[in-house]
Amino acid sequence: MSITTPQRESRPAADRRGGTRRVSAVTRAPWLLLAPFLALFLLTFILPIIVAVISSFTKVTRGGLFGETGVTSKFAGFSNYAQALADGNFVASMGRMLLFGVVQVPVMIVLATILALLLEAASARWPGFFRAAFFLPYGVPGVIATILWSFLYVPGLSPLIDIAGWFGLSPDFLGPSAVLWSIANIVTWSYTGYNMLIIIAQLKAIPTEVYEAAKVDGASPVRVAWTIQLPLIRPALVLTTIFSIIGTLQLFAEPQVLQTVSPAIDSQYTPNLSAYTTAFAYNDYNVAAAQAVLIAVVAFTLSFAFLAFSNRKSS
Amino acid sequence: MTTQLTKPVTKPAAKPSAKVHKPGTKKSTTIVVTGILVVAALYFLAPVYWVLVASTKSTADLFSTNGFAFAANFNLWNNLSQVLSYDNGIFVRWFLNSILYAGIGALLATYIAAAGGYALAKYQFRGNNLVFGIILGGVLVPGTATALPLFLLFSQMGLANTYWSVLLPSLVSPFGLFLCRIYAQATVDPALLEAARLDGAGEIRIFHTVGLRVLTPALVTVFLFQLVGVWNNYFLPLVMLSDTKLYPVTLGLNTWLSQVNRLPEFYQLTTGGVLLSIIPLAIAMVVLQRFWRGGLTEGSVK
Amino acid sequence: MPLVTRRQLLHGGLGTAALGLLSACATPGTHSVNTAPTIASTTGEKITIEYWSWLKDLQVVADIWNAANPNVQVKTVWIPSGNQGGYPKLYSALAAGGGPDLAQVEFGVIPSFMMVNGLVDISRYGAAEFAGRYDKNLWNQVSFAGGVYGIPQDSGPMATYYQSELFAKVGATAPATWDEWADVAAELRKAKTYIDCFPLSDAAVFTAFAAQAGASWFRADEDGWVINMSDEATLEVARFFDKAIDKDLVQTGFTPFSPGWFAAAGKGEIATLTSASWADALIAGISGGAGKWQVADMPRWSSGGYGSSYQGGSTVGVMANSKHPREALEFAAWLTSTQEGIDAEIEHCGIGWSPAPEIIGTPRTQPSDFFSGQNYNQDIFAPAALEQNTQWSWWPSQQQSFNILSDGFRQKASGTTLVDAVVAAEEKIMTVFKNSGLSIRKESA
Repeated sequence: MSITTPQRESRPAADRRGGTRRVSAVTRAPWLLLAPFLALFLLTFILPIIVAVISSFTKVTRGGLFGETGVTSKFAGFSNYAQALADGNFVASMGRMLLFGVVQVPVMIVLATILALLLEAASARWPGFFRAAFFLPYGVPGVIATILWSFLYVPGLSPLIDIAGWFGLSPDFLGPSAVLWSIANIVTWSYTGYNMLIIIAQLKAIPTEVYEAAKVDGASPVRVAWTIQLPLIRPALVLTTIFSIIGTLQLFAEPQVLQTVSPAIDSQYTPNLSAYTTAFAYNDYNVAAAQAVLIAVVAFTLSFAFLAFSNRKSS
Repeated sequence: MTTQLTKPVTKPAAKPSAKVHKPGTKKSTTIVVTGILVVAALYFLAPVYWVLVASTKSTADLFSTNGFAFAANFNLWNNLSQVLSYDNGIFVRWFLNSILYAGIGALLATYIAAAGGYALAKYQFRGNNLVFGIILGGVLVPGTATALPLFLLFSQMGLANTYWSVLLPSLVSPFGLFLCRIYAQATVDPALLEAARLDGAGEIRIFHTVGLRVLTPALVTVFLFQLVGVWNNYFLPLVMLSDTKLYPVTLGLNTWLSQVNRLPEFYQLTTGGVLLSIIPLAIAMVVLQRFWRGGLTEGSVK
Repeated sequence: MPLVTRRQLLHGGLGTAALGLLSACATPGTHSVNTAPTIASTTGEKITIEYWSWLKDLQVVADIWNAANPNVQVKTVWIPSGNQGGYPKLYSALAAGGGPDLAQVEFGVIPSFMMVNGLVDISRYGAAEFAGRYDKNLWNQVSFAGGVYGIPQDSGPMATYYQSELFAKVGATAPATWDEWADVAAELRKAKTYIDCFPLSDAAVFTAFAAQAGASWFRADEDGWVINMSDEATLEVARFFDKAIDKDLVQTGFTPFSPGWFAAAGKGEIATLTSASWADALIAGISGGAGKWQVADMPRWSSGGYGSSYQGGSTVGVMANSKHPREALEFAAWLTSTQEGIDAEIEHCGIGWSPAPEIIGTPRTQPSDFFSGQNYNQDIFAPAALEQNTQWSWWPSQQQSFNILSDGFRQKASGTTLVDAVVAAEEKIMTVFKNSGLSIRKESA
């Protein structure tokens, strides 16, 4: 994730030629090339964020029993934010996602790293097949993955519960205490292979000489993994962890779909589900906007905190 | 089979890349490593196997037979024809919509991100760092946080509940731009650009002839990344679309699933639909995963 | 030099466009259609009316109308049922300034749709001429603040479905009171059978029981809403089910009509279901259930109350952005209050109880083989439809209120009581009202 400053090769080139037309072309070109991206970025990122911020500071008051005698919008200060934060369910959903992230993200990253190292180890058989098998779930959309797993969770349908029954167990995958981890399992299933592939890409970039040196020293494969491979794939691990953190806060499809089979999932189970419910079931677009802003702020803070943390550790 | 068994000894040597270095593999290690990989593969493939089995069953068998075993009554073709014909073939329509959103979206998004990333990497201009910084911030904003306000905005513009409402946001990939910029910095040789300039080519033309060609490995990655991202997207279409005819397959299958409690025959439609929607993606993933590396980490290795 | 101006121009242009957009971007649903002039009905030209509903095969019924009304064609669009996705779709379509002419709206959410100005006051389009065809009680439930906001489509009078064999095994008959019900439940428990589920995650069932006991949670007063959720009737119901759950008399692990419920009911581990008339079709889906089930009157509360209650039930609402409200209203009335419409809706859509007391629907006059030859519709549900709490009226943010209640009920597992949950919910719902800019006060005792 290192961000290098842009290189300065084009400007001197243009200067050497000296033509003013050339200079203006070189000055104009980057903006022309950037224009489509910037226009769409403005429309789909910047403007919505401004809209969200504005509407999060607006409040509606209604006259009469249903607002039939008049509805007025006015500036509300931070009252929508206060209301979002006073909503125990929304705050609980944030806490739930933090717990989820603290457990699920490390498990998934460790699993992805182990699988990547094993696949890249010389002793692995059929690496092509395994890599494809592990990566396949990434192509299954979250909704469909959840539908799939929900069939494996529902009593009466699930062969897993039948099999557990042979051993005298009766797991309740959809109960109030287990369902969060049932969701974690779906997410892990979906994204481990993808993270593994990023790590493999980085492993392949390690120069062969590094391994040769280790071989001369007589290092064991485990030692090679620990002292050479892991430090060198750090950037990939940082990248995948940040994406996983953002992904965790975005969690929506899995709990929303699982809701139909698990009464334990309420309509504000995750921050996103909460914002969606507030907007489209409770029709409170202003508080929903405040929730969306809060989600973005938390995602930002966590990602930057993690970046700062990993940079400090590396230096 | 016998020839295959003797081969692995020489196999590592055939791959010059990362494997020559390893100490001679011991048989016990191979067994342990392969064993772990097999267990992992079982975990990743079991649900897919389940849906394969389930889609061959009738609704009654679905509930009365073990989920991992085929039932005596083979009902697959019947189920699939129901999936394809239900509601005048709405499933096919959903599928085509998904292809439209993901295919066109990813293609254009890649081009747009490439142009932007190339511009930021290869030109020094006022505001370069500022623009890049803002876009980088966009990588960190959860897509779902912008979906709600985007809906309000599109509503005002009359774009909500149209193809555009899903397509337009799919054209923007801040992460893709980020990758393209890194890759362009590392691989696009300034001398090449200068040579093209001396030949009298315009800047935009240079990007199309020289830039895009050199960027190709990164573009494949960005394209695949965006393709899967849009294909898997659920929140955005859910918020934007109310017309079932515009649904992508994810949203469509979920509306089927939401009916199973009242109408159990939807179990068959859902499992059949899930199977049909997984097959092309599974093939795509298996075929494309080898391309999934160019550019992803080139920039960050340094 | 010209470049600079061009760029400035570009910036300026984008800036103005953005500002224009933002200023137009008011909070959705704050503009009322019911103060605008009424829309005249069309004469002679062909129009199409769109109806969003979660009834299956509704187009077949609409085609009967279409054949007779070539100028007013009705097109139906299937949406997921209510809170499972239908309402969010409607709300978002309304917020986007679109949506259908007609939509299926449950009685309880009419006020919520009114809050976002989503419904047309059809009294301005002559709804009164149809009022006489409908059950008075139901018509009251669509009338608010001097207007009419929906045409009743179906209702859900409640009764108790029970497996007679399981009852015979413990020597019980259908309970006439809830106290008897609890006694039977205890007997059944000894035979490893639960009498029924109590869904902690769906407050609608509890609400129906409270309404039966005589509760009236909300009423509209001149100075705003008046709430009374912690009245004696509600608390009696809460205490009753607190006890039933504590004594393990009811199943709380799954809810009715879930796969687990179907399996348990098929195996005889669930003996009864106290639910609405429309549950008959679902019970008929229990494997091996034919001939085992019968229907009895709902048990009564000892303190009084009513003989039955409503669960579910929906209306046809004319939506705010309809271009043809009068024609839409005429179709809705035909669909829900004529012999032709009701019979077709029963046959093709499996619609709930008819809102027109004169017409229960031809298919419902026959005895049922599945229900042991009982003519249960005429014998049980027709009288039940008349035994209703007439004081009950629905309120805005009903879904949020139900979610608040069921969030509280879910805590039952960790030691709180339903009584606590109801009392706490009342406070929270008052906050919800105030937050959405409505005035509300507690009923003074």
